[in-house]
Amino acid sequence: MPPTSPDVPGRFLVSKGILRIDRFMTAAIRLGGLGIIIAVFGIFVFIVSQVLPLFRGAKVEETSAIPFAAGKAPLVFGIDEWAELPFYYEGGSEVTFVDATGAKPPQTLPLTLPGGAQVTAASYISADQLVVVGTADGQVGTFTVSYDAEFGDSGKRSIVPSVTIGEFYPVGTSGGSIRSVGYGDSGDSKVAAAVQESGGKLEVHAVLLRQKRSLMGSGKLTKEGAYDLTPLLTGAPLQLRVPRTGDSVLVTTAEGVVDYIFLGGDAPEKRQEFKPFGEGRKIGSIDLVFGDVSLVLTDDLGEMSIFSLLVPEGGEQRVFVKTKTLPNLAGPASFFARSQRNKLFLTGSGAQVSLRHSTTEQVRWEKTVGFEVKGAVIDAKCASFALLDSDGNLHRYSLDDPHPEAGWKAYFGKVWYEGATKPDYTWQSTSGTDDFEPKLSLRPLIHGTLKGTFWALFFAVPIALLAAVYTAQFLRVEVKRVVKPMMEIMASLPSVVLGFLAALWLAPIIESRVPSVFLTFAGVPLTAAVVGVAWSRLPAQHRARLRPGMEWVAFIPIMLVAAWIFWSLGPVLESWICVVRDASGNPVTDPATGRTVMDFRAWWPQATGTPFEQRNSLVVGIMMGFAVIPVIFTIAEDALSNVPASLTAASAALGASRWQTLRKVVLPIASSGIFSALMIGLGRAVGETMIVVMATGNTPVMDWNLFNGMRTLSANIATELPEAPVHSTLYRTLFLGALVLFALTFLLNTAAELLRHRLREKYKLV
Amino acid sequence: MPALNPAYINVQDFNFWYGPKHAIKSVSMAIPECQVTAFIGPSGCGKSTLLRNLNRMNDLVDGVRHSGDITLNGTSLYDPSVEVISLRKRVGMVFQKSNPFAKSIYENVIFSLRVAGQNKKSELDEVVERSLAGAALWDEVKDRLHESAYGLSGGQMQRLCIARAIANRPQILLMDEPCAALDPIATLKIEDLIQDLKKEFTIVIVTHNMHQATRCADRTAFFYLGELVEYDTTGVIFNTPAQDRTEAYIRGLFS
Ligand SMILES: Nc1ncnc2c1ncn2[C@@H]1O[C@H](COP(=O)(O)OP(=O)(O)O)[C@@H](O)[C@H]1O
Ligand SMILES: [Mg+2]
Repeated sequence: MPPTSPDVPGRFLVSKGILRIDRFMTAAIRLGGLGIIIAVFGIFVFIVSQVLPLFRGAKVEETSAIPFAAGKAPLVFGIDEWAELPFYYEGGSEVTFVDATGAKPPQTLPLTLPGGAQVTAASYISADQLVVVGTADGQVGTFTVSYDAEFGDSGKRSIVPSVTIGEFYPVGTSGGSIRSVGYGDSGDSKVAAAVQESGGKLEVHAVLLRQKRSLMGSGKLTKEGAYDLTPLLTGAPLQLRVPRTGDSVLVTTAEGVVDYIFLGGDAPEKRQEFKPFGEGRKIGSIDLVFGDVSLVLTDDLGEMSIFSLLVPEGGEQRVFVKTKTLPNLAGPASFFARSQRNKLFLTGSGAQVSLRHSTTEQVRWEKTVGFEVKGAVIDAKCASFALLDSDGNLHRYSLDDPHPEAGWKAYFGKVWYEGATKPDYTWQSTSGTDDFEPKLSLRPLIHGTLKGTFWALFFAVPIALLAAVYTAQFLRVEVKRVVKPMMEIMASLPSVVLGFLAALWLAPIIESRVPSVFLTFAGVPLTAAVVGVAWSRLPAQHRARLRPGMEWVAFIPIMLVAAWIFWSLGPVLESWICVVRDASGNPVTDPATGRTVMDFRAWWPQATGTPFEQRNSLVVGIMMGFAVIPVIFTIAEDALSNVPASLTAASAALGASRWQTLRKVVLPIASSGIFSALMIGLGRAVGETMIVVMATGNTPVMDWNLFNGMRTLSANIATELPEAPVHSTLYRTLFLGALVLFALTFLLNTAAELLRHRLREKYKLV
Repeated sequence: MPALNPAYINVQDFNFWYGPKHAIKSVSMAIPECQVTAFIGPSGCGKSTLLRNLNRMNDLVDGVRHSGDITLNGTSLYDPSVEVISLRKRVGMVFQKSNPFAKSIYENVIFSLRVAGQNKKSELDEVVERSLAGAALWDEVKDRLHESAYGLSGGQMQRLCIARAIANRPQILLMDEPCAALDPIATLKIEDLIQDLKKEFTIVIVTHNMHQATRCADRTAFFYLGELVEYDTTGVIFNTPAQDRTEAYIRGLFS
């Protein structure tokens, strides 16, 4: 409170109420401003917090080490999905289960092999909980180790294991002991294969079984054939793998060759032999990652490559092609375990343990443990894994790696996905099958965003700016008073309505009248220019009949007539150039009318080799342009109208024409405002969602083709967010898309603001 | 020199309306060539309106209307064959409030030449020097011709606008209270300038300043409420006005 001296008359004092309101409003405004900053910042922080986990590696921790198979020689071991009751099998007639919590003593279940056969080789297919065994008498068979959860009265879960013997098939010759076995079951066909020692030589044998399906249900399993594959091999067999596709056998040989033998045809056929590491190098290991399409190979020094089954360009059959190189291991891989959910696999050499992801070529986690690893297994949920050391102890680890398929490379780099002919930027987040690789490249979406924005601005900027210039500088005030609010109403049209119009009304029209659209777009401005020039050549007394600013009264009918003429000329143009040809290059004739078929839709793909879709960029460009035009128009018109009238008057008094006044005086001063208008229009186009969702096919393609669709970042979020489980990789990736969008607009706006500032400095008034 | 035209600009029974507002009421007057004619009168009496009709600047205003005629050297300004742009090239104008463009001093001066398509550097340089010298500004700005015009003082800006108006040598120069915002020294400079310019140009000047009118004008017209009250040589108007209203105004009884 200022001291009120008695000699200051009361009328000079400010009332307390006014001061209080002033102080209150200052505080309220400050609070509001701060609130906005906090809100925006909060959104940003939230998005970043959703995105960050995508870029973290795997979290692995050793939870316990238990005595497991001390003094035993297990051929295989496995674990249940809760990772509580691991088992091992030594090749005899029992399977041993060890309680990982140590609460119960080890427990064995009997196993009766047919004919009391002696098991000499075994492998474990964790996905099916299937143990594949090879016997001394040349048979390959399976047994299942299954676990059931039972809930007691107290609701406590107890796991009850069971062992079920499966089918056994004679594969090789009797008497030769089996060194290694492989088994692949696709449901319809099964392949069992074995490397067998016979007379001091190693042979490879396989049997193929098919299940005939009929209307009556699945039929009986019949044996298609038993094959001796040894003659097809390039050398002495080392290791053998059978993919779950149940149609082939992969054998590595001592010469460093992988033989890919296909059994799906009438007879075994060697599809491919390849040396994954080149001449003179040996193969250390061969394994299949989840999906059984990709091979992880290491050589004897630990170099690691991935080969995937694909149809190469120009080829007809699927063969293995080197698609990836991963960081080297310390030596040839001595163990391998794969996830049953994604493309993660656990491998290593000696005491080195490395968790890797095949799609992204990343090492997710790596450690040198204090023991030599004899074997590894990942549980079915991919939430833990276990390592077996040479003393028979089982080391259990918890595994937390929810987003192995994420990473910079996956989002922004080219990735060679399984089955693709080359590395590419692909977006395909979901699919029907489990063993699908999510393809999460944001590049097609960024591209789509830029493409949609480009075509929208391509359409909108000339129209909006010219309209703004005309309205601000040439149109009479009475007309302007009507035009301006109308445009502002247009700006408030919901984009769903525009998208709906685009998809159901505009797209079909444009589809059938592309040449008309082009002719009209080219012809109407041309007519305007020609008429304008002609008008200016008219003697002054004729021109004087229309007051300046009312020329549009004469121009609009001319433009309408021109638009109608050019629109009707479209089919004529179409009948000149759009000749549809058949495969041999002859024009196609319509059997009904006997005339040559002239159709832009069919002609465009033939002429350019690029597709034509009904919901394409042209439709989006026009409709999104419609959404952007009022935004650009209103702001640009304001900027132009705000140029002081004294300056336009000065220019006119100096004998400048309206156009010269515009170009030399008005535009430079309004340039910064016009620039803002463009940037705000751009921002609207970049973020526009509904029009794109509705008016395109939402295909994440990467081209600039006007007759193809696109998928933008914002449309992607709108279409996929309902499908994305909370905190899944897809969910977080959509947030990453939002962040990219955020960054994109932020960058654009900052750059624009800097530029605008310079323009304003250059042309500032007084 | 040919005989000078005493009715170079001839205003004949001219009326002018801004919408419903009748701003000029039946004004008739003849403005002689190569003389300085001053319009005086209280604010809002229509001086600027009449002035702006002499180069049809009022065309830019919406909803205006006129009757009667104005001829320039015998031709009606409103003849349909008259090209407004070329009319404005003949009739230059200096506004009450200086309005230089957001350009350099140099570009401001040659604006009328640029829009006429003149781009020869040597000629432009010459015009800049002649015009700025003519507007008594050359010495002050010759070292910073390429700096922004907005760096000048108010008086300098107004002289720049005069230089700009005379750069393309119009035949008539209209000046609407050119000294209203200027200090006495700048005002004197501009008055000297007017005396110089009158050798070449026909000048019509609106002023509120009685002394200015007596110092510069050959003839003076007194307007009141849109009407032309009295129009005669400056000496007559200021010494022996025929109308009481004129005398009252000149003596400062109303303004
Ligand atoms: N653009 C305009 N629109 C409407 N009325 C105007 C306009 N310009 C001037 N007037 C009116 O016309 C009358 C004459 O104005 P003006 O010629 O500017 O007077 P002066 O220059 O003598 O002070 C005034 O009453 C003024 O209000
Ligand atoms: Mg005035």
